[in-house]
Amino acid sequence: MRRMAVVVSLLAAVAACSSNAVEPQTPALPEIDLATFQQTMADLERPAVVNVWASWCLPCRAEAPLLQAAHAEYGDRIEFIGLDFNDSQRGARLFLDEFDLPFIHYFDQAGEVIADLGGFGVPRTYFFAADGELVKTHNGVIDEQTLALQIDELLNR
Amino acid sequence: MEVTLLWAALTAFLAAYLTLRLRPFDIPNRPFDRLIGAAVVGMFTGRLAAVLAAGINPITNPGQLLLIRGGVDTMWASLAGFATLAWPLRKNLRAIDNLAPAALAALGGWHAGCVWRSTCLGTASDLPWAWALPGSDVTRHPVELYAAIGFLAGAFLLTRLALPTGALTGLAVAWAGFARLLTEPMRPSIGGGPVAFYVAVTVIGVVLAAWSRNLPRWIRPSNSP
Repeated sequence: MRRMAVVVSLLAAVAACSSNAVEPQTPALPEIDLATFQQTMADLERPAVVNVWASWCLPCRAEAPLLQAAHAEYGDRIEFIGLDFNDSQRGARLFLDEFDLPFIHYFDQAGEVIADLGGFGVPRTYFFAADGELVKTHNGVIDEQTLALQIDELLNR
Repeated sequence: MEVTLLWAALTAFLAAYLTLRLRPFDIPNRPFDRLIGAAVVGMFTGRLAAVLAAGINPITNPGQLLLIRGGVDTMWASLAGFATLAWPLRKNLRAIDNLAPAALAALGGWHAGCVWRSTCLGTASDLPWAWALPGSDVTRHPVELYAAIGFLAGAFLLTRLALPTGALTGLAVAWAGFARLLTEPMRPSIGGGPVAFYVAVTVIGVVLAAWSRNLPRWIRPSNSP
């Protein structure tokens, strides 16, 4: 009986910790469809790095600080765009509260955009030239050297 | 596990093995266990440091510790790897001396593993041996191969030297720091690489090599030159 009480207490504590008490500060992410995304890319005035992420994706958390640093260094020359895939608005907003990624993020719930762009898995990163041409797709967590090299490629084109 | 990383690790292992074959005397027992143990502890510690630096709680996100591709803190990885290698052998520095060239060769092999991972290229260059990424016109330094050649040359030279106890380890540490320091300007990075760390490693290695004649007697074998 005592063991049961301990288990129930623990479950109650876990439930309390995981309650929806925290309200996200980041505003809701704008939804995007393929046509809007293609128009966005066609209107680019500088190269772009498009990162696909989701709040449930552990590797995306590992990658976020690197994207933050890259944006701080290259944000004036490279457009950074986030695509949140197969996620909830709440989860996405909490993710952005946790990792300060100060660039535009779109909500691609159905994965319409990334299905068109190709590649596999989350995270993945696309590199676009200033004319909107997709230059490189990187599947999986991107490391610092690869990200810096691909950004340098975009800037030297 | 990513296959290309596995190939890079196997290349490092092969380089260490060949170096031990070049210098097959006076090595401590189970040298590969020691080197691999040091590498694993170094990677884990470096990843833990990177996770903490990113503000991620490793207790609530333990899976983060396995994501080596998510970033490894070079400084903590090196310190932990070296400490793991050195602590069991702390009373016999000669044994560490005999492992030092193999450790350098393993680092060279790891860098040479860029060939399997297609991650050899650095900053743009017009030198005749520079090459470009597929589909690109921008030729680049094969900077990881420069580092690999530097480490492997250092390992080979150290196997040829007869030095006082501790000097070989000191020189290996200094060589490792200096090789990375020389290649760092050619390595693409976000926010600059850990240059200060490589300078510190180089200086510490030189000081250790210079100080080796004055090592306390308990750390020196009696037949030390």
